[in-house]
Order: sequence, then C-alpha cells, then structure tokens
Amino acid sequence: MGTMHIDGHEIPFQENDNILKAALAANIEIPYFCYHAALGSLGACRLCAVEIAPEDPNKKPRVVMSCLEPAKDGINVSVSAAAARQVRQTVIEFLMVNHPHDCPVCDEGGECRLQDMTVACGPPYRRYRGRKRTFTNQYLGPLVHHEMNRCITCYRCTRFYQDYALGDDLGAMRLRNEVYFGRFQEGPLTSPFAGNVIEVCPTGVFTDAVFRQHFARVWDLETAPSICPHCSVGCNTLPGARDGTLRRVCNRFHPEINRWFICDRGRYGHQYSEHPDRPLTAQVSGVKVSYREALAAAAEQIKAARDRTGGLGSTREDLESNAILQTLLNKLSGRFATFSDPQLETATTAAVAALQSSGGAPSLSEIEQADAALVVGDLTTHAPMMDLALRQAYRTGAKLAILHSGPSLLTRFAATTLTVAPHEIGAHLLHLNEQAATASTTSNKHENEKKLADIATYLTTAQRPILIGVSETMAAPEITALAQLANALGSRARLAYALPGANAYGTALLTPTNSTTAMLEAIESGQIQTLIVMGNDPLGDTRLGARWREARQCLSTFIVSDCVATATAEAADILLPVAAWTERGGTFVNYEGRAQGFAPVFQRAEPLPNTAEVLADLAHCLELALPDAAAVLSNIFPGYQAPLPGTLGSSLSAFPLTMQTETPIGSAPLGHPGHWQVTLASWYGDDVLASYAPALVELAPPAAALIHPTAALKERIEDKEQVRLRGPAGTVVLSVQLNNDVAADTIALARVTLAQLGVGHGDLLELERIS
Amino acid sequence: MNKQIPTLLIRLWRSLWATLRHAWVKRETVPYPEIKRSLPGRWRGRIVLTRDPDGEERCVACYLCSAVCPVDCIHLQAAQLDNGRRYPETFRIDFSRCIFCGFCEEACPTLAIQLTPDFEMCEQSHGELVYEKKQLLIEDQGKHPGYNFYRHAGIAIPGKAIGGGVSDTPPVDHDTNLP
Repeated sequence: MGTMHIDGHEIPFQENDNILKAALAANIEIPYFCYHAALGSLGACRLCAVEIAPEDPNKKPRVVMSCLEPAKDGINVSVSAAAARQVRQTVIEFLMVNHPHDCPVCDEGGECRLQDMTVACGPPYRRYRGRKRTFTNQYLGPLVHHEMNRCITCYRCTRFYQDYALGDDLGAMRLRNEVYFGRFQEGPLTSPFAGNVIEVCPTGVFTDAVFRQHFARVWDLETAPSICPHCSVGCNTLPGARDGTLRRVCNRFHPEINRWFICDRGRYGHQYSEHPDRPLTAQVSGVKVSYREALAAAAEQIKAARDRTGGLGSTREDLESNAILQTLLNKLSGRFATFSDPQLETATTAAVAALQSSGGAPSLSEIEQADAALVVGDLTTHAPMMDLALRQAYRTGAKLAILHSGPSLLTRFAATTLTVAPHEIGAHLLHLNEQAATASTTSNKHENEKKLADIATYLTTAQRPILIGVSETMAAPEITALAQLANALGSRARLAYALPGANAYGTALLTPTNSTTAMLEAIESGQIQTLIVMGNDPLGDTRLGARWREARQCLSTFIVSDCVATATAEAADILLPVAAWTERGGTFVNYEGRAQGFAPVFQRAEPLPNTAEVLADLAHCLELALPDAAAVLSNIFPGYQAPLPGTLGSSLSAFPLTMQTETPIGSAPLGHPGHWQVTLASWYGDDVLASYAPALVELAPPAAALIHPTAALKERIEDKEQVRLRGPAGTVVLSVQLNNDVAADTIALARVTLAQLGVGHGDLLELERIS
Repeated sequence: MNKQIPTLLIRLWRSLWATLRHAWVKRETVPYPEIKRSLPGRWRGRIVLTRDPDGEERCVACYLCSAVCPVDCIHLQAAQLDNGRRYPETFRIDFSRCIFCGFCEEACPTLAIQLTPDFEMCEQSHGELVYEKKQLLIEDQGKHPGYNFYRHAGIAIPGKAIGGGVSDTPPVDHDTNLP
C-alpha cells in the first residue's frame, strides 16, 4: 500500500501493517520479544525501538516501538540509530537484572531469543550487583516444564494460551516486577494446545518436559521436513533426532495448514517410536530372526497360498505402501482391503467422495475465516488443529453450532449445541436440510427444533459457512446428508471431514468397494489362507476386534508389519517391524486431498526398512516384477508427481469415487429397557500411535461410563456408582460419571472400553447396576 | 674469495668455542622417564571432570564443550536426577583426536572440565584412547576450588531451594496481590 525507508532501504508495506511487520516481511531485522505474527503486537517488551526522522527538520527524531507504530508512506526509519540502540541496550540490561544464571542448565539454550537478543543488542557485561527476584515453579503436567525465574514478561504465553487457544487455566498473576505466569493451582495444563507455549516463549520459562528427559542441544539435532502422522490434518512438523533416537517434534510453518502451531498429540505423540515394547526385530512364530529369514518365511507362505492371499492396508500407512500392497495383491490375484471396520470404510469413502464432488475441503486458514460453522461430532479429539482453526473463527465472531452425542471441548464456544443420541444425528441433519431449504421460522416447536432453526439461520445468513463432520463417528448416510446440506447452502458453503488416519484420504481412493466385508467373509470361509497386514490393527478394532480375532484362527499364516506393538502385531505369525514415520520418507494425503511428502529424519542404530521397501523385498523373494512406487502411483493417479518434502504439497488428482446417495438414514433402534446407545468419548491424545507415548497417555482421562444426569436419574443410577456393561465381546465394570455433554439414553465410553466390549460408536449396549 | 676466509675462520672458531664452553655447564636435559620435569599449572594436557566443593559432579551436561570442540572429540548425553541436578549420563573424550586446545575448558560455564599438566597417555590402540566418564571424573575440585555453579543458578536442587542462591531474594508469593 506504500513504501517507507528503513536505513536507506525502500520497504513496501500493506495497509494496517506496523513498521515491525513490514520490516520482518522484507527480511530487515528489528530485535523484538513480544511481537508474534499470530498473536500480534503488544508493546510489552520495549525492545523493538526504532528512530523515526521528523518531517520538520527543526524537530528532534522520535524513538518509537516499531510494533506499535503504523507504517506510513515515506517515513524514514532507522534501526541502527544511536538512540534506538541505546534504548534496546538498556531494555536488555534491565531484563538481565533478574534473569538467573541458568543458561547451562536451561533447555532453551541455543534457540533462546533472549540469548540471541542479548548478544545482538545488550551490554556485554552485567553491571548490576544486587540480589535477584525469584519465583517458585509450578508442576504443569508431564508435558510442559515451568521455570518461572527466567521470565521476561512478554506475555506471549498467556496471549497464546488464553487469547489464541482460548484456554482458561494459564494466566498472569501479581503486579509490578513480580508478574507471574502460571496456573491458579498447580496441575497439568488442560488445553490440547498447551505445548505451543514452549515455542512461543522467547526464553526458557516453558520447556519441553519430555525432551528434557533425554535432552540434546538444538545444534546437535538432526532434522528434516516431516508430516504429523497422528490425524488427517497433516500438520507440518520438524522432528529432531540425535544418536539414532527421536528426541522431540516441533512445528514447521505451513501457510495454509498449521502455520505456527501444532497440537499436543502431534508434539508429544512421537514417543511411540522410543517405546520399550516397539518391535525392532523380525519374528517368526515368536522367535526372533533376521529380516531376511522372516522375509523368506513370508514369501514361502505366500507362494503356497498364491491367490488365497489377502492384504490389509491402513489409513495410517503412506500412499506408496498402500498402492504397492494393492499392486502386489493384484499380481497374486489376491484380495485387498484397507479398513478393519466396514462401517468406517463406507463412512470414509463417502466422506472422500463428498469432498471430491464439493470442490475440495477448506484449508485451516480458510476455516479460520468462516463466519458460521456446523460441527458434527467431537472435532477436538479427531482433528485438534481444525478445532484451533474454529476457535480463531469464533474469536472473530463466527457462530458455531455443534451437533454431537458425547463430550466435546468445542461446546464451550458454541452458539448452539445440540446433544442427541448417535442414531438421531442423521435425522437431525435431514431436518436441518429441510430447514435450510425452507428457512421457516417456527417458534412453537420442541426445543431441539428451535435449535435446528437457529443453526439453519446461522448457516443460511452466513457469508462463509463451513460444515465439518467427524467421519469416524458418522455413518455413510449421515456424511451424505451433511454433504447435501453443504450443496443446499450453495457455493459459499465449504465442507470438510476429519478423517480417521493421516492418510485416510489417500487410502480411501485406493479402497475397493465393500472390501472389508468381503475380506472378512473370505477369511472366514477359508478363501484366504495368508493375510498380510500393513500398519493396521484389525484385532484391536473397537467393533469387530472379536470377529477378527476369530477370523485370525482360520488363517494359516498371519503376516504383520508395523512400527508399534498392537494386538495384531502381537498375534502375528511373521512380524516384520518397519521404520517409524520419522525414520522414513513417504506421502500422506490430508483431509483436503493435499498430498504432502515427508523425508526421513534420522536412522536408528540398526535401520529398519519402510513398508514400501518390505513389500518390494517380498515381491523380490516371490520373483514378481513389481514397479517402483512412483510408477505404481502414476498408474493410479493421472499425472501424479511425488510431492517434495518441505514444499506446500500438491492436490492429488484422482478419479472421483462413487458417492452413495441412495442409502437411507437409519432410524433409531427401539429402546429396550437396559439398552443404551454407545458414543465414543475420545480425548485429544487418542490415536493408535500416540497411545504408545507414555507422557501423553498420563493425561488420558480415567475410564468411566459417562451418562447424562437426567438419564441417570431416570434409571436411578448415581454418580460414581459401579455399573456392569455388557457388550458382544465382553463385560466391563466401570464407575459412572455424570456429564451434561452426553445425550439422553446414551453412554459415552473411551476407545479402550469399546474394544473390550466389542461395540462401536452408535451400537447398543446393556447396562446393569451392581447392587 | 680470499677476503672472506678470515671471517669464516672467526665464525668457525666462535662456534667451536661455544660448544667447548657448554661441555662444562649444568645440563638441562633430564633422563625422562626416570626423572620427570614439573610442568606449569596451566599446561594443557589430559582432560578431567572435576567436582564441586560438596563433592558432587560439576558438569551439568550443557553441551558447550562438545559444541566448541574444533575436532569434535567430545560426546555426551545429558540426564537429570529427580531432584533437579543435571549431569552427563555418558561423557566421552576421544584423546586420539583431541588437540589439547583448551577451548572446552574456556567454554565450560561450571568450571567442570579442566586440562591438567599430564601428557602421559600412550596406548596401543585408538580405542583405548577413548576415555569414558569414569576415567575422566576425578574426586577433586581441580584448579578452581570453591566454585559451585548451583549456588549461583536459579534452579532448585537438594539443599538449595528457589531463592536460596548466593544472589537471590526469597521467592515471591504469587498467590497474593499485596505489594
């Protein structure tokens, strides 16, 4: 919008830019602490002082804070002026008055902004000889370490935690030079984004408590651009490794997806790769053998079975592995599937088909721009960063509506929350469709009807409405109904789904129709003798785990390759351990259909092959000519080019999936006495890989049966009472917890409990009181 | 040519005379290793890790020595005790690579790593010149007696709570807003 001069350089700036922002955009360095591109200017640190030459030559130049001074056309700014330098030096000297002599034992050392700025603008020696002010520290949970003495009061932590991530348990206390940042009472930080305070803190007040256990300086870490494998958002990360072990994961800037932040699942879930139970040696019938021996054994079994071979890919395996597995199975005339649950398969493929026909899902930065949003399901636990994007939309005044059946952290920010049992979600979506079409203003209706009318009003009156569904807790017809709603709202409405797994989108494109059911039936009827499972956990499936365990008995050989010790990996005849995500390269396709490449960060002392390499080696043993991943993928996806790690990713052009439009919405099952509908009560660290991360799992809520107080009153169940839950696969005794966010006639249970009972989201369950 | 002869003869005589003179002076050469010369205290020889006045390890595993080392001969891995003290879990110096430049000693913020006046480190193989922590850590304060890093740092360790350092004031009670 104009140009100003900084130390003789012409610097262009946009409207409403401040001097600091414009200078940073032009790669001119002005020292600063408290300014952050996402958190804005505050003027708390007083470090970004610059001198502005007066227009009237008779006046003296002014020293101003560049983060608070709007950029104006034609002004002359000097960063190097003596007066500005003097201000910065004095600021640093004052900050160092109380700063402890901690650098050798501080984890921030090496990437500390205070260190850098002190070297860049501070006095070389400390003149102050008095005593230092000190603070006691708080225990902030297993993820974030607190060392309050080091604080320089830039307020970045609370600005992120309270203002940006809308958390409410970290704030500023006291006054003057004794401002304290912490919790009101000691305890774990509750926000799913708490780990970001480590990165926003310019000094070592908040440091990574997990990295601390096995610390290495930043200059010693090996890094490479990677993609988070813990959900379908596909945040860009920068893992750091040393001496053949993974130490930490940091955010990597991507302008359209995660930008400056990642969630705690992404930051701390990486510990699965250092889990003591992680399979690192190949096994045949429980005996440790070399990789080559295991491969030979697997090849022998596959040769014997030939077309009686099945292959199960996975939504958390990369695009290359799934495609190569499919090709291998085609060559063997075997059967290929990717999901362990048919319902999840139809839901995910329906979601991907809907996304394809809706013209693409919005990126996170587009979600932040929404002015109304409808969320179906518990978004925070399935795609935490999508939740953070919605919180930004909420901050700018967007109306959020949530249609859900179990607890959800987003309900706090919702203008309208509609809590209904899992089976009624579809009916409500259809109602909403009607409401949006007719825009009727019925005032004499049932409470839920009124809420639906409200939601319809938000969506129809909004300029940029966004509809987000959680595909794991929705059936295919519900997904289609949401897509139809997006259609009805017209081209201004955007549609997104949180998919189950980092590569769920890419996997769905490769999945043959109804492949899971066909695979299960083929195994049970003996048509498949040998099953290759790549990075999937069918035996630990919530709904069908028991059926898979029985089916496994029908198999003569069960070949599993995975990087974590799942129930499936433990039941394998032949176990082929593979490299974890940070140890290999590949491609994930995120919820938008954006293919993003990731590079291997490091090698273990004894390197493991990645899944695609295992398959290639297997094909070699079978004497099959298998094309390489690039050739396979360009056969499947026209014009496919592998996205380079570290780039923005490219959208994957694929043939459209067939959308199942004709499936009717399932009506609610008849309520038996003692029968309850099950809903999944997840939490933000809930993911197959992250469940092997000890520090993160420490924060998992204790297993309980969550029931709405009214429903509990009706059944005369009391809070904390022990109840027996009976499902098809087993019985579990749990204590009841009353929760207002659970729908009537619904019981919300953790994923582990669902697996023990053998029920999935929306299934029926028997509840007995123990008296 | 002839003019140079006297000069050459004088020079020759001078050096012969110097040799003859030195035949009778006291000898500087000592028959090492039977007799060992005492080296100056600041001699840069074998590297040790010292202890603080309380007998605890001084090294806090800050990695500065390994960062500054021009030949990359120092490798360590940090760990920490439950009580907050940090220490090197492993500390390894490859003396077959070390050039005894003393940068590590200069970089050490806790005065833990010190070079000593000892150079007798002959081994049969390179492997034996890789010293582990148990060979490096001595039961002494070395040449800087009396310094205890944790007394000056802000973090708490057993025997020194927050605010108990030599230049600290007692911690602020952040639960009150009274001045």
